Amino acid sequence: MMNLVPDEELTEVGDLARSIGAELLAPAARDAERAGAVPDDVWRKLFETGLAVPVPEEHGGGGVPDPMTMLTVVENLAHGDPAIALAAYWNGAGALLLAEHGSTEQHQHLAALATQPERRTAVALHEGFGRGAAELATTVQVDGDHLRLVGTKRAVPFASDAELVLVVATDPDAGALRVVVVPAGAAGVTVVPDSGRLALDAVRAADVDFDVELPASALLGGAEAPADVEVLVQRLRLWAAAAALGTAQRAIEYAAEYATGRIAFGQPIGAFQGVSFPLAEASMRIEAARLELVGAVLALDERPATEHDDLVSLAASYAYGVGTQSTRDAVQTLGGHGFIKDHPVELWYRSAAAMAALDTDPARAPFSARL
Amino acid sequence: MYSQTLSKPLQDYSRQLREWSASECRPYARQADIDKRRPDNWREILDTAPIPLGRADVPEPDTVPTFEEGHWVSHFAFYENINYGDVWVHPTLGNGGIGHLVVQAMGTPAQIEKWYDDVFVAQRGDTGFALTEPGFGSDTSQVSTTAVQDGDSWVINGTKMYCTGGAFADYVVVFATIDKSNGARGINAFIVPRGTPGFTVAKENEDKLGIRSWTTSELVFTDCAVPLENRLGWSAEGGDAQVGKGQGGALSALAWNRPNMAAMAIGLAQASIDTVTPILRGQRAGFTPQRWAAVELDLEAMNAALERGRRLGYLAQTTVDQGAPSRTLSAASKGYVPETVERVIRHCMQLLGPEGASKELLLEKWYRDCKIIDIFEGSGQVQRIVVGRSLLGRLAG
Ligand SMILES: Cc1cc2nc3c(=O)[nH]c(=O)nc-3n(C[C@H](O)[C@H](O)[C@H](O)COP(=O)(O)OP(=O)(O)OC[C@H]3O[C@@H](n4cnc5c(N)ncnc54)[C@H](O)[C@@H]3O)c2cc1C
Repeated sequence: MMNLVPDEELTEVGDLARSIGAELLAPAARDAERAGAVPDDVWRKLFETGLAVPVPEEHGGGGVPDPMTMLTVVENLAHGDPAIALAAYWNGAGALLLAEHGSTEQHQHLAALATQPERRTAVALHEGFGRGAAELATTVQVDGDHLRLVGTKRAVPFASDAELVLVVATDPDAGALRVVVVPAGAAGVTVVPDSGRLALDAVRAADVDFDVELPASALLGGAEAPADVEVLVQRLRLWAAAAALGTAQRAIEYAAEYATGRIAFGQPIGAFQGVSFPLAEASMRIEAARLELVGAVLALDERPATEHDDLVSLAASYAYGVGTQSTRDAVQTLGGHGFIKDHPVELWYRSAAAMAALDTDPARAPFSARL
Repeated sequence: MYSQTLSKPLQDYSRQLREWSASECRPYARQADIDKRRPDNWREILDTAPIPLGRADVPEPDTVPTFEEGHWVSHFAFYENINYGDVWVHPTLGNGGIGHLVVQAMGTPAQIEKWYDDVFVAQRGDTGFALTEPGFGSDTSQVSTTAVQDGDSWVINGTKMYCTGGAFADYVVVFATIDKSNGARGINAFIVPRGTPGFTVAKENEDKLGIRSWTTSELVFTDCAVPLENRLGWSAEGGDAQVGKGQGGALSALAWNRPNMAAMAIGLAQASIDTVTPILRGQRAGFTPQRWAAVELDLEAMNAALERGRRLGYLAQTTVDQGAPSRTLSAASKGYVPETVERVIRHCMQLLGPEGASKELLLEKWYRDCKIIDIFEGSGQVQRIVVGRSLLGRLAG
């Protein structure tokens, strides 16, 4: 039976994440950007909420949310601030990969990750442009009890801070997607000095070159039974895309509120369709994009793996497109005031575009001029 | 007869300007953005130009030639190609501010001689245009700055914000009402020279999303007295019947500058496409054939979109040069281009992936810079109202 209405539990988690976003993340957004890091006290409080590091109870954590809950949590934390939300998300994603697919030995890391907020993991996923997981150029090859990991990953969160980097790579021999757990400082890992980015500085991203030899046991799941990570990697892309929608939603709410108070030509500017229609368009598209992400999360379980790349690329690219368009419309609504740092819309404008550059597939999101 | 080819001299000038701004000015773009001002050695940088730029800081005339197409078409080409290097360059030429355009449009012959010919042209002064206030931008009828006649002076009180170049201008054209009960008709323009007692710079520069190398100032006028003859369109003896007065005059003076802002946007977008194209070609091996085909179609579509914007701008400016200017066309050019330009630059970033948003390249900066173009000198919505009125009359709005 068709049902696209979130159930009560999901709604509650979403509300909780939204209020944490509003009370904890939003006020710290500018500080996080200035410092290029999530402020320590904010990170600790976020850690304590249990939403930041998804680790199962048997490993000392607060439990792992189901995929729809993750989608909602990321979206609603990003409603507070996208950079802090994504910093927490990508750090938690490392723990989640370890928890879901790690070997017994790899599970040993979890207790520390679940209890010590200063620990960081990184997931190295993105490459040059929004390429589906099946097309990643980074490879891992297993030779006896050793493996060799070769490739370049772009915009790896916490590239210089993480004690473990979980690198997503293809194994050409097995014809499968794998994750390699690379310890910090392993020989052959080169973090490229980063010159900074348009936004999302708190994620502390940098490009990383890998040409690493490790024991084969570094494969996620272990040498004997390397994990099939394909579905989880695709989910990671969808969850990240949810952050674009949270950002977009917040931006249009802020713009709408501004438009009710700003007077021009004798009325609040919101009374002009030139102001209200773009915001209404954004609102409709955010709803549609959210449902597409929900649909894609479901489809990952329902559709054959060969279709996953395309459906995830399509849903993610659309969400990023909605994110960028909504945030530009929010800046536009504030006029000159939107262009000044006194208001946060310029931050969302930058953040949405920075997110969109990470994972937009040129074949799924062609250029369209404003007609 | 239709022709979409610029005359050979204008083509050559444009190409030289573009190549020069890209090779000599662009290398300073990042630092100008960080420092929030033009490079300290801007004069030496401008000295390397192989063509006249219309510089305000050199003794000998360095006038941009007027090509057979005429002044405004030449300037459209000028604005695109100088901004192709980066946005920091053109405000250093002394025409970043636009106060002199108002003088030219609304001044008496004596005022034009003094403030346009002498201060702006001969002395190559900087000018500012101070209309926007904290309480309004688009709706210029809300001017709350007042000017009250007191003997042989006008005494100005009020706050102006977002005045481009205001902190450094030799004079600022300030819009103030002399009679609030008279609505828009009460609004007049006054020349306030720098250093006039009561004129203070409350904030030299705003902290902005983009065009950070430009100065965007907040100005405060407290019992600021200027001579009667500083009221544009008037002399100490009274009004000059031959010149346009009030707000309307100001706005038509600005209308012809609007396509130039579209040209600026096109320059940034073309620079973005030209930055990513060779990078993508170099990475071609990493694309599947279908995806590479998509990339090529995108590059083609983006170039075509800019070309549409160019044609509109050239059409609008040609009508000005031919003496039959159209506000509608001018608004169409300024309304059509900026949002498409935002999309082009954003798409260029997306084609590159994470590298696209890195400060290693200037795409992220141009994405920040370009956003203002749909806001200032009449927002996208305001341009649509102007175009809409050509169809619907006053109903549009
Ligand atoms: C960097 C910078 C430089 C600037 N330089 C100058 C300068 O040199 N001199 C100067 O005087 N000003 C300058 N400005 C101000 C600029 O011109 C104004 O910001 C602009 O006119 C918009 O006004 P506003 O910001 O008050 O927005 P508002 O007028 O408050 O408009 C807000 C939003 O409402 C929309 N809107 C308003 N009315 C309508 C309507 N009837 N129908 C549909 N939509 C509507 C607008 O399009 C906009 O999207 C500058 C601003 C910036 C940021």
